[in-house]
Amino acid sequence: MAYSIPDSYQDTTPAEQLDKKTLNRMVWRSLFLQASFNYERMQAGGWLYSILPGLEKIHKNNKDDLAASMSHNLEFFNTHPFLVTFVMGIVLSLEQNKADIPTIRAVRVAAMGPLGGIGDALFWFTLVPITAGITSNMAINGNIAAPLIFLLIFNVAQFALRFFLMNWSYKMGTEAIGVLTANAKEFTRAASILGIFVVGSLTSLYGATSLNVQIPNGQTNEPIEVVSTIKNAEVKDFKDKLYVDGKMDGELIEGANVLDLKNGYSQITYHQDHMVPVTINLQEILDGILPQLIPLAFTLLLYFLLSKKGWTPLKCIGLLLIIGIIGGYFGIWAV
Amino acid sequence: MGYSVLQILLVFLITFIAAIDQFSFLESLYQPIVTGTVVGLVLGDVQTGLIVGGTYQLMTIGNMPVGGAQPPNAVIGGIMAAVLAISLNMDAKVAVATAIPFALLGQYGVTLLFSLMSPVMTVADRYASEANPRGIDKINYLSMILMGTIFGLIVTLFFIGGASFGNQVVAAIPKQLMDGLGAAGGMMRYVGFGILLKVMVSRELWGFYFAGFALANIVAGIASLSGSALLLLAFIGFALAFWDYQIQTRLKVASEAASYGGEEDGI
Repeated sequence: MAYSIPDSYQDTTPAEQLDKKTLNRMVWRSLFLQASFNYERMQAGGWLYSILPGLEKIHKNNKDDLAASMSHNLEFFNTHPFLVTFVMGIVLSLEQNKADIPTIRAVRVAAMGPLGGIGDALFWFTLVPITAGITSNMAINGNIAAPLIFLLIFNVAQFALRFFLMNWSYKMGTEAIGVLTANAKEFTRAASILGIFVVGSLTSLYGATSLNVQIPNGQTNEPIEVVSTIKNAEVKDFKDKLYVDGKMDGELIEGANVLDLKNGYSQITYHQDHMVPVTINLQEILDGILPQLIPLAFTLLLYFLLSKKGWTPLKCIGLLLIIGIIGGYFGIWAV
Repeated sequence: MGYSVLQILLVFLITFIAAIDQFSFLESLYQPIVTGTVVGLVLGDVQTGLIVGGTYQLMTIGNMPVGGAQPPNAVIGGIMAAVLAISLNMDAKVAVATAIPFALLGQYGVTLLFSLMSPVMTVADRYASEANPRGIDKINYLSMILMGTIFGLIVTLFFIGGASFGNQVVAAIPKQLMDGLGAAGGMMRYVGFGILLKVMVSRELWGFYFAGFALANIVAGIASLSGSALLLLAFIGFALAFWDYQIQTRLKVASEAASYGGEEDGI
């Protein structure tokens, strides 16, 4: 854990352009982006696995640079699996030109965020419901071709997109590199701004911790409307509930009503007080202060522990396991 | 039920592959419409497999793993529904309903593995700092094998043990512990955020973190924007970043010119 990632590579001469074969090989490996998915860094392990052939070629002359590159590419990563090759292409073009590590990191974080929504909209909300919807009905009618048609449509779309995005974004990144390196410091700063902004957004959007704590807070009166049909002679028995100060022929209490049905009966409406228990929902109070306050507090606490107290990620995970399981035992987490 | 060892092994294999495929590889082989049919093929009743697969598939549409959330697991649910329908001669709809508790168990399996794999990232860090690509490969392969094995074992156990056995097992798992583990799992991403902040944030850039957080809260309050939230936020973030880039580059040019001019004046 003593290893700390440097800010720039030792060997800063741009490496050879990655050939088509290596790019395509990485497209195949990108299928395993979520192989080692975990709650801490999500797709980081699979991300590094996917771009490894490229990194090995780019940093083949310097083992320290390969270590630095592999280490910073193991940081938190999460994007849409079917669109990941877009991020791969850009990051690889920066790696190939030996851009500064903070620059590469900032671009990676800035690019991964917005793709999630696009990919979900394209695949899970559009392509899958339509193709699966049609083929499911074929299957229920006993058509053996149904699963094959489903697989074919889905995978043709997936692979076309993966190969296209990889080649396109690598080319785009390579072409843009000249402009970027001329103002490298300013560009890194700008990319960091976008990256940090995205991390702030993720804290809110991916933050999934909330409380389920109800604090009993006594009881309250809740008026319940009662509608009843009674004999006219009995109306006076309800005068306290119907009339102000209980005076018959006086003013009706608000919300009360007497309707003579002209058959010897009257329909009366009045409100009866009913005691109901009151609880305070702690999460609602927190949301009133600041929505997603808990994810924000956790993130800042962990930032503090990691950067100021020198905690390792492992120690942080241990802490969260304890908090989670003890809290789960008492049932304070909303599920 | 009287199925051969070969059939049991094949069901294990189908589950093994489907379990991996739900997150990696083609991300489509695991869909119930596919697994139901293949299970039907193995157990000698393709028609029933097809129908159950189609029925389960219709139920899962709109129930996709979006944004890291875990809906009841379609892999175990789909396979178990087909197994139940064929082995117990159940109606397709009844089989799908009976399979739901198993789907829940699959969800537990996923939660467990995703939590377990978090500390393994420390080992990955070590391989990375040693520039050891094969170590990284190994962790990814191992993780997939674990996923396949956990799922394969669950399904095989129930395939042999039957539906009532399955319900007993599901009832025996302490819900509080799984809830707690799920909550802890949900918190671990904050470690990832913390690491990113540690390496990216400098004193002068903190404001952008809170700006992103605040705007995300606002966008999240609008239900119709749930799908496009991050894209919209990225537009705003991009505007800020691009603006800053232009200001900074102009400042650089201006300060270079000023210092050049200053020297001239001195002469």
